[in-house]
Amino acid sequence: MGKKKRGHPDVEELLSRPWCYYCERDFEDLKLLISHQKAKHFKCDRCGKRLNTAGGLSVHMNQVHKENLTSVENALPNRQGLDIEIFGMEGVPDDIVQQHNQRIIQNFYTAQAERQAATGNPPRGQPGSQGPAKKIKHETPEELKKRLAEHRAKVAAQKAGGANGGPPAAAPTDGQSPAQGTTPFPPPQPAYPYAPAGVPGALPYPAPPTYPPTTAAFPPGPSPPPGTTAPFSIPARPPSGAAQGAAPPYYYNGAPAYPGGAPSTVDELMANAARQGGAGGDDIDQLIRMAEAGIRPAAEAGKNGAEEAGTAAGEKKKKGSRMVYADTDISPEERMAMLPRYRWVEGNSA
Amino acid sequence: MAPATQFEAAQPPSDAISALVFAPGTSKRLLVSSWDKNVYLYEVANGTDEANLIGTFEHRAPVLDVCFGASPDEAFTAGVDRQVKRIDLTTGEQTVLSKHSESVRCVVYSTEHSLLISASWDGTLHVHNTADPSQTPLTIPLPGKPHALAASPSKLVVAMTARLVHIYDLPTLSKTLSSQQPQQQPPPQPWQTRESSLKFLTRAVACMPNDAGYATSSIEGRVAVEWFDDSAESQARKYAFKCHRQAVPEDEGGGGGDVVYPVNALAFHPVYGTFASGGGDGTVALWDAEAKRRMRQYQRFPDSVAALAFSGDGKYLAIGVCPGFETGMEDYSGEGRTKVFVRELGETEAKGKGAK
Repeated sequence: MGKKKRGHPDVEELLSRPWCYYCERDFEDLKLLISHQKAKHFKCDRCGKRLNTAGGLSVHMNQVHKENLTSVENALPNRQGLDIEIFGMEGVPDDIVQQHNQRIIQNFYTAQAERQAATGNPPRGQPGSQGPAKKIKHETPEELKKRLAEHRAKVAAQKAGGANGGPPAAAPTDGQSPAQGTTPFPPPQPAYPYAPAGVPGALPYPAPPTYPPTTAAFPPGPSPPPGTTAPFSIPARPPSGAAQGAAPPYYYNGAPAYPGGAPSTVDELMANAARQGGAGGDDIDQLIRMAEAGIRPAAEAGKNGAEEAGTAAGEKKKKGSRMVYADTDISPEERMAMLPRYRWVEGNSA
Repeated sequence: MAPATQFEAAQPPSDAISALVFAPGTSKRLLVSSWDKNVYLYEVANGTDEANLIGTFEHRAPVLDVCFGASPDEAFTAGVDRQVKRIDLTTGEQTVLSKHSESVRCVVYSTEHSLLISASWDGTLHVHNTADPSQTPLTIPLPGKPHALAASPSKLVVAMTARLVHIYDLPTLSKTLSSQQPQQQPPPQPWQTRESSLKFLTRAVACMPNDAGYATSSIEGRVAVEWFDDSAESQARKYAFKCHRQAVPEDEGGGGGDVVYPVNALAFHPVYGTFASGGGDGTVALWDAEAKRRMRQYQRFPDSVAALAFSGDGKYLAIGVCPGFETGMEDYSGEGRTKVFVRELGETEAKGKGAK
């Protein structure tokens, strides 16, 4: 890991990066941030004009299109307001800045700890502080147990802190059909969708090949990060056509249940935003990720699996995730055609 | 950039929209089928931002799909009353082409082969030779109930329950139909059978105008893009992505998370090959299938987007908006909330930037 500096910048570097108030993304420099804001948040969806601020867009919409702008596009749910004038990093309220810094710091240490756990390498700048040799790590069973305990504690703390809810209680919600057994996949941790993207230079979705060592190195604890295990837990999808009439899909009959808790951190919101695709704005990133997968055919099956497992786990975990229409067997049209209002009875014909 | 304008059709259907389609070529005629048992014919006026109703065609039961035939004066409809009909839009004359044993979900017309294909919940396809209406249609049994149907210049994609996707070769269908006794022969086999890339019920299918592949969408806010060519390289290019979802603000009960909307409609741009998706969240997004990018997303419509269509020359995008049907609805009515929007696209509005 000689190039560590490249892959994992230190906290100061991360904190000094300009970031966007509306979507919490960070950027290499202010110019990029401003062009991001103009393209993502201050762009007129009528004529494509890019304004400098939300206020400017509001005035433009009013004058040119005679419409009222009510919210900033592609913004996190609680940041859509027009009342705050943002330009680049200017205008961001202090408390939000604090919150952001907190998050960066927390993510940094979480990521660092995870890397350490995965690689067994000591943190940078403290060579040998962890004791064991660099290349091969000899651990006594006690050390291993201790590390496992630490990891468990950390995961638990993270869960409590990240508040993605308790363990996946499989309680079905709002009358949706009880799901197929509990997921073998742990809940997505807030760090997963975000952490990789926070590392500049790294791909937003690290290519699967970087994962296996992580998996191997992880103690079989109760909750390894989902991204690391998922690709291997779900068998790669068979090539098209092969599986007709084969085993049913992951949850084919009935809707998945969505136990879990409310997102309470910015990370959660970001994860939501990332998951939400279309309305959220980070779908582009996802598309890019998928492009990545597309270039590596070998990796795709695994990636697909990962994505689907992620969704499955994510949706079971997240209580709020709710499919507006969840019947996997009968289409809305069929349901409608059964209603008395639309029903057709043969023999009625004139 | 030419100004993009959007306007609403006068006299919209009185109940939910099931399908909406522009006439082929440069005609600005627009057909809308509705659950109110009527098919509406609109024409986008020249020079003004108006779409005027120029005719309605009443059916016995709700109409589930409509398509144009060889000319802007001919239409075909699929009805809950199990009939596939041809309508002469000039005279209003309706002819029954065939009868299924269940409601007919989709009809699609292939200009290249003069074939009309209908798909019904009785689990069959009927293939009609529109050049010779006296000929008995060819029946092809399907392994599941069809939910979406789309035709490219040479292929027919049928999406069914249990995530089955069958692709038929249109020239083969045409040949079988024109052979001496099509009913005596074994029904034509699909050219390819696939499993949907999406885990949930397929909602819509649309084919690329360049005959290279197709896109499917599901009830679970996702769209997949696939290629017909079944070589490993082409298959490796397929992808799927999430869209039409909405985060619930954490302070608004329900515990946050996403509301996942069905993607009800897909339509490819006839010139640029980009495509539009319309979802239960009331948004329409334009995607560049090559560059795998979203090009734009339009301002939210007041209700769910039920249907989408580009005009033959790609200058207009029609959007059918009505309340979405959600799980557990005991009654449903699109009355008063059904609207047809027509968006005049700016010159480069739907043009992709090309693969990066």
